[in-house]
Amino acid sequence: MIAVPGIALPRSRFAFKSSWQTWGAIMIAPYLLVFLAFVLYPVSYGLWLARDPASYARLFADPIFARTVVNTVVFLLIAVNLKFLLALWLSGFFVHERIWIRWLSIVFLLPWAVPSIPTIFSIRFMFNPEWGVINSVIFRLTAHDGPNWLNDPRIGLGLAMLTHIWKSLPFWTLILIAGRLAIPREQYEAASVDGASAWQKFRYVSWPSLRTLYLTSTILSMIWTLGDFNSVYLLTGGGPADLTHVLATLGIRYIRLDQVDLAMATIVCAMPLVLPLMWFMMKNLSRGDRQ
Amino acid sequence: MRRFTREAGLWLLAIPILLWTLLPIYHIFLFSISSKDSAFSGALWPDKPTLRNFGTIVREEHFYLHHFWVQIWNSLWIAVAAGALTLAIATCAAFAISRLKVRGGRTVMNLALFTYFIPAAFLAIPMYKAMGAYELLNSRWSLVLAMVTLAAPYAIWVLKQASDKLPYELDEAARMDGATPLQLFRLVYLPLMTPSLVAIGTYALLLAWNEYLYAYLLLSHEQTITLAVALGHFISADDSPWELLMATGLVYALPPAAIYYAFRRYMVGGLTAGAVKA
Amino acid sequence: MAAVSFQELRKNFGSTQVLHGISLEIADGEFMVLVGPSGCGKSTLLRMLAGLEDITAGSIAIDDRVVNDLESKDRDIAMVFQSYALYPHMTVRDNMGFSLKLRKDKKTRIDERVARTAKILNLEPYLERYPRELSGGQRQRVAMGRAIVRDPKVFLFDEPLSNLDAKLRVAMRAEIKALHQRLQTTTVYVTHDQVEAMTMADRIAVMNEGRIEQLGAPLELYDRPANLFVAQFIGSPAMNVFEGILRDGAVEALGARWPAPKNKGIQGQPVRYGIRPEHLQPGRDGVPAEVVVVEPMGHETELLVRINDIDLIVVMHGRSAHAPGERIFLAPQAANAHLFDAASGRRI
Repeated sequence: MIAVPGIALPRSRFAFKSSWQTWGAIMIAPYLLVFLAFVLYPVSYGLWLARDPASYARLFADPIFARTVVNTVVFLLIAVNLKFLLALWLSGFFVHERIWIRWLSIVFLLPWAVPSIPTIFSIRFMFNPEWGVINSVIFRLTAHDGPNWLNDPRIGLGLAMLTHIWKSLPFWTLILIAGRLAIPREQYEAASVDGASAWQKFRYVSWPSLRTLYLTSTILSMIWTLGDFNSVYLLTGGGPADLTHVLATLGIRYIRLDQVDLAMATIVCAMPLVLPLMWFMMKNLSRGDRQ
Repeated sequence: MRRFTREAGLWLLAIPILLWTLLPIYHIFLFSISSKDSAFSGALWPDKPTLRNFGTIVREEHFYLHHFWVQIWNSLWIAVAAGALTLAIATCAAFAISRLKVRGGRTVMNLALFTYFIPAAFLAIPMYKAMGAYELLNSRWSLVLAMVTLAAPYAIWVLKQASDKLPYELDEAARMDGATPLQLFRLVYLPLMTPSLVAIGTYALLLAWNEYLYAYLLLSHEQTITLAVALGHFISADDSPWELLMATGLVYALPPAAIYYAFRRYMVGGLTAGAVKA
Repeated sequence: MAAVSFQELRKNFGSTQVLHGISLEIADGEFMVLVGPSGCGKSTLLRMLAGLEDITAGSIAIDDRVVNDLESKDRDIAMVFQSYALYPHMTVRDNMGFSLKLRKDKKTRIDERVARTAKILNLEPYLERYPRELSGGQRQRVAMGRAIVRDPKVFLFDEPLSNLDAKLRVAMRAEIKALHQRLQTTTVYVTHDQVEAMTMADRIAVMNEGRIEQLGAPLELYDRPANLFVAQFIGSPAMNVFEGILRDGAVEALGARWPAPKNKGIQGQPVRYGIRPEHLQPGRDGVPAEVVVVEPMGHETELLVRINDIDLIVVMHGRSAHAPGERIFLAPQAANAHLFDAASGRRI
């Protein structure tokens, strides 16, 4: 009655898992289709559109381009790092166990919870040089006209950065709060017993645990910031005189002008910025996943 | 004494945080209850607060608001469709990768993560061309599918993390009890994943409702645009009715804020989990 | 009820072979315990029988029917997992009735069988509760109930007691054994705990590194271990074993002559001499030893003694007047000694 093992072997392997593998393939297929149709095809098609060296020559010849690259780098370095220093600091504030701090933390999340467009327009109106609330107050207090705000390219870009920080600071503070809460309380108690000051507790207890999270969050935030169209476009529209563009808004500007090859060339020019960040994140997440 | 100074320090910090957070939002509120003349007075509270702006919106009594109800319906339709579709696609994919251990699941996860790390505004340009090629431009489906593309990677990632935490013995027990893969999915997996599913569904829904850039690129007809795009149209002219814009913006911002706070417990835990692990 | 038969069963994980051709016949109604240290392949063997692992080579038959190609659900077996694997979102009633529901039994029939099983396991008051509302022992019983309710041909247990505290483990041990005597269902039980194996099994298969070292009734393994591994694995405290040379009916070891069974081995053969702690009793004369540690436990006393820098364990019934540092004499009996070949470790 016992089957010959050699015959049983190949079929058993197949029969066992087949229905599970089949269902697995069926259930993963919808996402794969989405990926093929809306990521792989568009990206390949876009890169194919960007193959012509002439588009790059035209792009570099556009006087806005150089300014845009500078703006983007400044935006990334200053806005993201400032945001993270603030988030690190605020996360230290929000982990205090007080009922009113919990309420405050709920309010603090509002900028993240509401859509960008009304809030950014609101900021835009506040800084209107002629009748915005800021300059009205300045005029009433000093009897002088306030600065030109959004009509000054430097201040405009600075305000775009502040808007970006205003919008995404709550999310990253939340992440760092979660990171701080994951540190066992005993470590702080041990540090207290050893006579550590508040700064030393941060330096030798909090920071070593938060460092990795802080770094990966900063990188991820840089990627998202590169793709942040709203903070600049809705606030300054790239103006005045197209001097506050970043790569994200410049690409879209070309699309609206129906210059798809220039739009794609802009993206390709952003790759030296994006690819190292993406590579870092992919490496990090796959490693974390495998553990 | 030291305790007192520390408490005072905390309170002192709370005031600028509160001002920083609320000023732009209060500014919206202030405009939306002001009449056109008093909106620009720079006062902290209007002389005669009014709800007339909201009446104008509801009755579509302004050039920019002629299609208000259609546009808010578009926003809602797209958000719900994108939320539901993302949830369905991501849940199936996470189940296949994490529980059925489908061959190539790891590769698909990496493809999804790769997508997640493409800056949104950069993907928008090729996506716009592709939607043109698919002849989907100006259809609601173009925005729904774009939003699914953007939301699904993170959704799969979070759901996979959550489902990896379910003990594998549960699946084995179900197999021995005679469950087919579909029964395992329906009777065991879905009920146990409910909290994460709520978080992810809400995430995708809010992402789609709040989206401006993709909506602005993919939809352009007055009857098909979402409320976000319609709001963008207000600033095309210098003499826009800003008090109406702000009132409409408030109407637009309230539902996501309400949903977010209603599901806050799920959202914060569910959405930060993946991030902290990384 | 059913007999289970493993024929030359092999399992590879990648390039490493974890089971090297296991052949084992389990009789109808038998309580078979697979015991061994972690990583010996016992759980893999059980999971292959359950249909949760592929079979690399060989065959498994239940009642003479080869089940290699069958899915778990078609093998008519039920399993109790180490972690219990209860469905957290279902009540006890639904947990127990799940398999019946899946095979589309009538509701009245499901209710009746769940009720009967709950009665057997004293789970009636808990039927509407969720697993999280139950104690460890109750969860364990629900896991068993889920298996019993199906009335399968074979029960599989995978370390079912290792998540319970010591006291509960003893109680559940008796309960499972009583249950088996009542239901008389063929049972395969995996554990790393030799006490569980000894107290519950009809027969034990001692496994090590993917092989069955010895198969037999509990006391048979205890009295006549086939090799050094079984000798030291079965019994607690473990058997004392040391090296020596067989000469003139005794073993020369640790500077003394230890009496050995007659007519065994070859003159001058290097051997391992094994003797259980309770067979090593202090006497008026014999092998001199120094007491190092005394561990009184009430009903017995354990002595750690030293001979020539080798530590041995002695277990005495009742209490002992010995103190650390004292010199005593050990008087082993030839009939209680076990001889193993020094090279192969096999019993002589």
